Amino acid sequence: MKRTLLIARREYVAYAKTVGFWLSLLAFPMFAVLGGGIPLLIRSAEPIKVVTVIEDGPAATGLAAEVRAALQEEKDRLAERVQEAAQKGQAAAGRAAASISGPKMRLIDAPPALTVAAPGAAREAALREVLDKDASKDRRVDAVVFLSRVDGKPQAQVWTARAMDNDVADFVRNALRTGYRDQALTAAGVAPSLVEQIESFKPEVKAFSPNAASGGEVSMRDRIPAFIGLGAGFLLWSLVITGASILLNSVMEEKSNKILEVLLSSASASEILTGKVLGVAMLTLTVLAVWAGIGTSVLTSASPDTAATIGQVLLDGGLVFYFIAYMVGGYLMYAVLFAAIGAFCETPRDAQTLMGPIMMILVVPILVMQMALTSPDAPVVKVLSWIPFFTPFLMSARAPSDPPLIEIVLTLIGMFATAALMVWIAGRAFRAGALSDVKLSWKTFGRAVTGRG
Amino acid sequence: MTAALTLESVSKRYGGFDAVRDLSFEVPKGSICGFLGPNGAGKTSTLRMILGLQPATSGRIAILGAPDGRLVRDRIGFLPEERGLYKKMTPVEAIAFFGALKGLPSHEGKKRARQLLEQQGLGAAQKKKMKELSKGMAQKVQLIAAVVHRPEFVILDEPFSGLDPMNQQGLEEMIRGLAADGATVLFSTHVMQHAERLCDKVVLLAKGRKAFEGTVEEAKATSPRVLDLEGAISPEAAGALPGVAGVETLSDQDGVRRLKIVLAAGAGGQDTLKAAFLSGLDVRGFALKEPTLHDAFIGLTGDNPDQPAVRPEAVQ
Repeated sequence: MKRTLLIARREYVAYAKTVGFWLSLLAFPMFAVLGGGIPLLIRSAEPIKVVTVIEDGPAATGLAAEVRAALQEEKDRLAERVQEAAQKGQAAAGRAAASISGPKMRLIDAPPALTVAAPGAAREAALREVLDKDASKDRRVDAVVFLSRVDGKPQAQVWTARAMDNDVADFVRNALRTGYRDQALTAAGVAPSLVEQIESFKPEVKAFSPNAASGGEVSMRDRIPAFIGLGAGFLLWSLVITGASILLNSVMEEKSNKILEVLLSSASASEILTGKVLGVAMLTLTVLAVWAGIGTSVLTSASPDTAATIGQVLLDGGLVFYFIAYMVGGYLMYAVLFAAIGAFCETPRDAQTLMGPIMMILVVPILVMQMALTSPDAPVVKVLSWIPFFTPFLMSARAPSDPPLIEIVLTLIGMFATAALMVWIAGRAFRAGALSDVKLSWKTFGRAVTGRG
Repeated sequence: MTAALTLESVSKRYGGFDAVRDLSFEVPKGSICGFLGPNGAGKTSTLRMILGLQPATSGRIAILGAPDGRLVRDRIGFLPEERGLYKKMTPVEAIAFFGALKGLPSHEGKKRARQLLEQQGLGAAQKKKMKELSKGMAQKVQLIAAVVHRPEFVILDEPFSGLDPMNQQGLEEMIRGLAADGATVLFSTHVMQHAERLCDKVVLLAKGRKAFEGTVEEAKATSPRVLDLEGAISPEAAGALPGVAGVETLSDQDGVRRLKIVLAAGAGGQDTLKAAFLSGLDVRGFALKEPTLHDAFIGLTGDNPDQPAVRPEAVQ
């Protein structure tokens, strides 16, 4: 046991004290934050567009006011959302949502040169002057909107400094449509107050399910478990594959550096294998702890209610213990298999023969897991979750949707029985591979396992 | 003398290939034993069986009183043929780690590591990473790692390979030191000179079979002495001298020949030389050559130890 722990400790320290490990460990949450944060940052960093609105002729009277009113309404709506979020203790999330969704424009009075210029060449010259990117800041505008009315229908010409800028055009289109609709309804005899009432009407639709936690109405609390299951499945997959790959590389490195034989003279093959598996398991747990820590602190500060619900879901019904069991079983199966393959290889290329098909098989649970989110009892999900190599990932995804207990128990038994078999097979292969010079193939691997080498 | 290691009719078969056949020998406690043979003769397979890294196909092995090397792992030190240590560790860390695997407390391992590195002239390399050391230095570190726990039995597989003459000499001194401290040393080599200088006993292996077991002197005695004669001497006249088993003409320049006279077993050569002078042969030069271990090996096995044998790929 002491030797196993020594090997485990060395394995852990060898990786944990490298900068690369911590960088790769932080890469996942960093990319997650960047993935979500970059659009937010880009949108927040977008400058507020300076827009001027000009009514082209007497027929267009009132259209500019419609655009202004639409902009003000939008601003009021966002302010309301931020306030609501703050009341729910999610001020940061509310501000973030507001910063990426609202129109970023400011309306100014039209420059005199534009208002007096007649349509045609004179107007175009004036437009070029104000839309020129080299124009002085106090004279330059980002967009000029000419509003007109043809056959009673509002129209707009939107001139922008950048040809690809559609934001102003989109906003104006919506504003005019709303205005026209309101006018049309009023003209048809519908009272303006009724129009406003219809517009602000938000029908209350509630989802009910006999399986909901309340016994009736479906709440966020009921939806969270499915997302947790899917997340746990993906997380488990990524941790197991990461851990097993670390192990594969570590064993390959020791094989190529001729350390395995020295180790074998000092400890048994099973002590080495167990030590290495344990050491990398500690690394995997470190990764999990850091990710969980980051995730918890981010979630707690952004949405304490959701964080509390997730915590409750994980503890209710022992879901967290299922995840732990699936993680242990999944890691064991794949870690010992990868370690045994590594014992035959000195380079990743050597390992390709066996790793290629294994990785292809490992893609299957990734594809099926997504189906488990909406249809956890779909036949394909159910059948595949009985295959021990897929059990850890698919059952993690299914566990929150309360599959029959017998399925949970039997798949767990199948998984651990397979894990035990894998430990036995891998132990034999590891010992044979560590001292072997033969090229890895399914045949040599099989011969090593069966002891016919 | 008690045997630290006994092999009785040990064989090892890989698939259809017999790597070791019916091998029996003993290594007395406290001795230095050379395990000699060309590459591919079965030395590494035998050493792995002794260590318990590979099971013997048949036969019995007893080491330090145990039937399996794995049972006395902590009392054995092993230096494999292909060497390697963790590249990112310092020599002290590496030595202490392998010492710890053999039951040596970490602090004691580090203390001994520093002492041994100083003794081997590697004091300045203590804080370097293994990857920064030269091959000779790394090899010394590995040997220290193999013996830091003061094993009773030390097994070294081709310890001299890849070392320059200076480091080879240093290693010879280390091996003598181990034996002087009471350890039994078994080392394999295909370079006979090292065995000749170091060993109390040698075991010669050829094509998986034992060709000889005994002291270096006994091994040499199996090979005849050679008398080189130079002069206007005919091979026939030389062949008629007493104690001559065979004559070979090495060169012939206008009747002046260099003859290699292989003496009969037990013949010292003095009588043959005396008879040559008394019989009036035109002896212009002579040299009486003692057989070397290399000669003995060739005589015993018919193989040149420097020539590798063919070894098929095999999986245990």
